[in-house]
Amino acid sequence: MGGYRYVQRRPWLLALLALLIIACGLLLRRTIAAGREATWAHIQQTGIWRVGMDPSFPPFENLDTGTGQPVGLDVDLANAIARRWGVRAELVGVGFDQLVDAVAARRVDSAISALPAFADRTKEVSFSSPYIEAGIVLAAPIGSPIAKPEDLAGKRVAAEWGSAGDAEARGLQQRLEGPFDLVLSESADAALGAVDAGKADAVIVDAISLALYNRAGGRLAQVGKPLRSDPYVIVVPKGAPRLLTEVNNALAALEEDGTLAAIRGRWLDTAGP
Amino acid sequence: MLGIALALLVLAASQRPRVEFGPQQHVVSINPKMCVHTRLTDEVEPWKIQRTFEMVREMGASWVVEYFLWAAQEPARGVYDWSHADLVIDHAANQGLTLIARLGYVPEWARPPRTSPLLLDKDGYDAFADFVAAFASRYRGRVNYIIIWNEPNLSQEWGFRKVDPAGYTEMLRRVYPAVKRANPDVKILAGALAPTLAPPGSEWGLNDLDYLQAMYDAGAAPYFDVLAVHSYGWTFPPDAPAGVDAVNFSRAELLHDVMVRNGDGDKPIIITEGGWNDHPRWTKAVRPAQRAAYTVRAYEKVLTEWPWAQALCVWAFRYPRPAGTYQDYYTFVDGDFRPKPIYEAVRRYARGEGVPSLP
Repeated sequence: MGGYRYVQRRPWLLALLALLIIACGLLLRRTIAAGREATWAHIQQTGIWRVGMDPSFPPFENLDTGTGQPVGLDVDLANAIARRWGVRAELVGVGFDQLVDAVAARRVDSAISALPAFADRTKEVSFSSPYIEAGIVLAAPIGSPIAKPEDLAGKRVAAEWGSAGDAEARGLQQRLEGPFDLVLSESADAALGAVDAGKADAVIVDAISLALYNRAGGRLAQVGKPLRSDPYVIVVPKGAPRLLTEVNNALAALEEDGTLAAIRGRWLDTAGP
Repeated sequence: MLGIALALLVLAASQRPRVEFGPQQHVVSINPKMCVHTRLTDEVEPWKIQRTFEMVREMGASWVVEYFLWAAQEPARGVYDWSHADLVIDHAANQGLTLIARLGYVPEWARPPRTSPLLLDKDGYDAFADFVAAFASRYRGRVNYIIIWNEPNLSQEWGFRKVDPAGYTEMLRRVYPAVKRANPDVKILAGALAPTLAPPGSEWGLNDLDYLQAMYDAGAAPYFDVLAVHSYGWTFPPDAPAGVDAVNFSRAELLHDVMVRNGDGDKPIIITEGGWNDHPRWTKAVRPAQRAAYTVRAYEKVLTEWPWAQALCVWAFRYPRPAGTYQDYYTFVDGDFRPKPIYEAVRRYARGEGVPSLP
């Protein structure tokens, strides 16, 4: 006989090998692309992370009257993230209306300025994980029997006239089986004060107003989860997946090690009285 | 199955409010210069468009400013979609309102790829002029005021380029004659400059006074009929005196002074954006009672003390969706058309029922 030897073919093995090669190639390509991402690479090379903010919205960002420098929750957050990356946060004052466009145009690397995730801007920018809840909440005095929205039947509920809290309260009135009286005030603080003064049994207000009210001596506690969640996020350009990943990783790490809680606590009374 | 599908369609249609124009309405107000910016660009439901203009009329405002996107009206060169504009303009007219149309927002075919929709090269000026002319022609008799661009003295509004008063003037030079050929009755509003103290060389823009002077220096005077002005009060009352280093409501007087110095003092101004905000924490906001009183006082001031101002258009009547920011505190009614205290105060004023005292 000749030197011919029959080798049994295993086509499934060849197919698996081909798939594995393709997968590795795609992963390698993605890794290289992420590594080459211009925004993140530039931040690493220069050691500077340009963060846009409009310093006119305390306690998130405002200009210190003494130093003229921006201070606030968002300022501390930007600096904390930058420290984790081993870079410096350069805070760039940008008018609020221009912030998202400035990020999209890469005039700044990111924006941290009490910004919600604008649903109509997702084609131009990306939004990080939330770093603080700023939506609408139900609050009542500590020890109140009101433990959920359904307990509001027959009660008096305060809200700021014309606010998102007012709208949420009216929506709740329509959804709940038992009606409640809506007590409207001219401001969020007045609505919160109405509860402490006994003129209302509960209040529907934004979470930040509640936190600041308690920081100033109020004694109201949030009841349950937010009625409408509307958290603040960090805005990064579209097409900067590495930067977005790093921002989200930093936020997660700061949450885990307590830094984010400390920042919130410094500017807001998030724990309640 | 077909019968069930048809039944469901009929049921769905019956759930939507039926929108009929109804009889021609007229505004009743003691102040014919009252105006609001209605922000219906993103509002697609006809009943909400109608309800917006109804409430504006009932409040006593005779004018509205509305933003029409070039990119939406002309999705491809020479191909027009006037459907949304027709809806807005017809409803405004039915409510007896004078509509000022702001035009801008560059379609993708008229700018380089992946650029801001607020960027228009000189190469695109003729295309923009053609669009404005087509708009003016279509709405002849129904729209007599057109604002060309918006806040060109801000880099962001100029496509994130260095601001260019001469470039904006060139835009006006192309647009003006094209529009007048199409509709000689329309008034072209130029400027709509952002009130800002940005100094020369700032990467973010140029202050409105210097920018306007630069427009005149570039020969803009023959190419607009009305100067559009933005006049926000921030934390200052409407009677706070004007100053070159101050952004307040009276800054409009300084812009008028620039016009006078350039021999253009007979030309009117329309304040196409302005007003106050009452967010509890924004540093440029006032309290709700102040906002109501300041707004009414501003309407009164424009009527009795500023003969050169044709109208005051306060920002903004309503947003289709909450912004979730301090900007929600500019509105007169919420997303569900519930009037805020400022709406009630302005309505009482327009009916001659009194002016809220300044806190």
